[in-house]
Amino acid sequence: MTEDIIKVKDLIVAYDEKPAIWHLNMTLQKNSITAIVGPNGAGKSTLIKSIMQLIKPVSGEIQINGSKSKKALKDVAYVPQKGEVNWEFPTTVLDVVLMGRYVHKGWIKRPNKNDHKIAMSALREMKMEAFRNRQISELSGGQRQRVFLARAICQDADIYIMDEPLQGIDITTEKLIIKTIKSLQQEGKTFLVVHHNLDTVKEYFDHVIIMNKTIFAGGKISEVWTEENIDKAYNEVSAVR
Amino acid sequence: MELLTSYTFLIVAIGTTLLSFASGIIGTVSVIKGQSLIGDAIGHATFPGIILAFMIVGVTDTLSLTIGAVIFGVIAFFFIQAITSHSKITLDGALALILSSFFGLGMALKSFVQGNPSFHNTQGIDDYIFGQAAYMLRLDVYLILIASVISLLLFIIFYHQIRIYTFDPIYSSTVGINPSLINFLVLSMTILLIAVGLKAVGAILIVNLLIAPGVIGLMWSNRFNIVTLIAGLAGAAAAFTGTYISTAFAGFPTGPSIILVLSAFVLISMLFGRKGLVTRQIMKVRGESS
Repeated sequence: MTEDIIKVKDLIVAYDEKPAIWHLNMTLQKNSITAIVGPNGAGKSTLIKSIMQLIKPVSGEIQINGSKSKKALKDVAYVPQKGEVNWEFPTTVLDVVLMGRYVHKGWIKRPNKNDHKIAMSALREMKMEAFRNRQISELSGGQRQRVFLARAICQDADIYIMDEPLQGIDITTEKLIIKTIKSLQQEGKTFLVVHHNLDTVKEYFDHVIIMNKTIFAGGKISEVWTEENIDKAYNEVSAVR
Repeated sequence: MELLTSYTFLIVAIGTTLLSFASGIIGTVSVIKGQSLIGDAIGHATFPGIILAFMIVGVTDTLSLTIGAVIFGVIAFFFIQAITSHSKITLDGALALILSSFFGLGMALKSFVQGNPSFHNTQGIDDYIFGQAAYMLRLDVYLILIASVISLLLFIIFYHQIRIYTFDPIYSSTVGINPSLINFLVLSMTILLIAVGLKAVGAILIVNLLIAPGVIGLMWSNRFNIVTLIAGLAGAAAAFTGTYISTAFAGFPTGPSIILVLSAFVLISMLFGRKGLVTRQIMKVRGESS
């Protein structure tokens, strides 16, 4: 029994009238670990930003858990690219992870003991417990990525959407992140991950979406991860250009 | 000692201290976001609003002039937004353009008004350029009180949203925080505080009350709540000391005195703060020897 947790229908997104995504249709299967791969400028980040409603598409429809409303995003945790945050902001590792509890607290309520417990256990999972009182700017690239993942775990969402989480980090962190993703999958979570290293796709993921402005192939690794499909997306001149 | 209980001193000291406490806290957000100069541009841009309000009501009435200042602060902000989003000019270019052109307009209007016999009692409007705290009235202090309380309340109510948005704007929008709303809120508080503070420190120097305390706070702590608290307290302490100095030594203007004290605090913090130059050097030497 398979179920689509995210559905994208006929999506078109443009920057300054140049199309970044063109008539794209895709589905994300529930409880899968799905990679999005494609050449630079293929619109991978644009696709997940559209799903997160950070970008307004020209046309098309996006459903999360069957709903189009902004409220559906409550079930989605987003892990940004490292460059998108203000690293000089005065905050400790624990405080950043606690931000993940905001969706459960809303407005004025401050995090309580239970939230602290959840945050600490997320930090433990990412082996960052000892760094909880560090200023975030003092962390290495890999450690920063671990903090972001801990924040996402703390958010306790159903779907995790990650923008190149393995970019520029050490191999220990990479293995740890993949291990954590796989154990969260056991708990019923779903992952959509922008990924750039084609060599590790087979090892890390069970589903893949190959795209270049539109989808060239999508589905189980065993069915669609073929030389032919990869070549098409990376080498063929896209229909849009 | 007698001075500390004199009516004029108390009025001025309460006004500047409250203003600097609130400005220090709200201004810290702009310092962290790297948008300090927005406050400077808006500060200068309020000046023509003051003169136009004076031209309409004909007297230097505090409330009317403050409303004029707020309106021009808002107009300046929308100009800055429009320039940065509809042209290739970057933020710093837009700020420089708005700052100088609006202030230029203010100076031109001021000359016109002061050279025109149909306007009377025009000397008071000069106070809004450099500030003239000694002439502050009870009403000025009330306005400062209202603006400070509103800003601080909004800051407390939206504390989590402001914190998450300032650290990570994209993430904030994915968890249901409206970034434009928070940005608008912070700017409204900034404009409000600038408008009520003009009489005390003037259009040119007001930015210092928004920026220097945040810089001081950042030198002493790694936590946002502590940084803002230190910023507020540093602003308040500098304002009180500065006002005292200017009252005790006649001839020292209040606004510049406050800013000199704040600058001294900044210098001390940058050297000896927990994250200051000297402190870090000492830590490094200790780290190497052990």
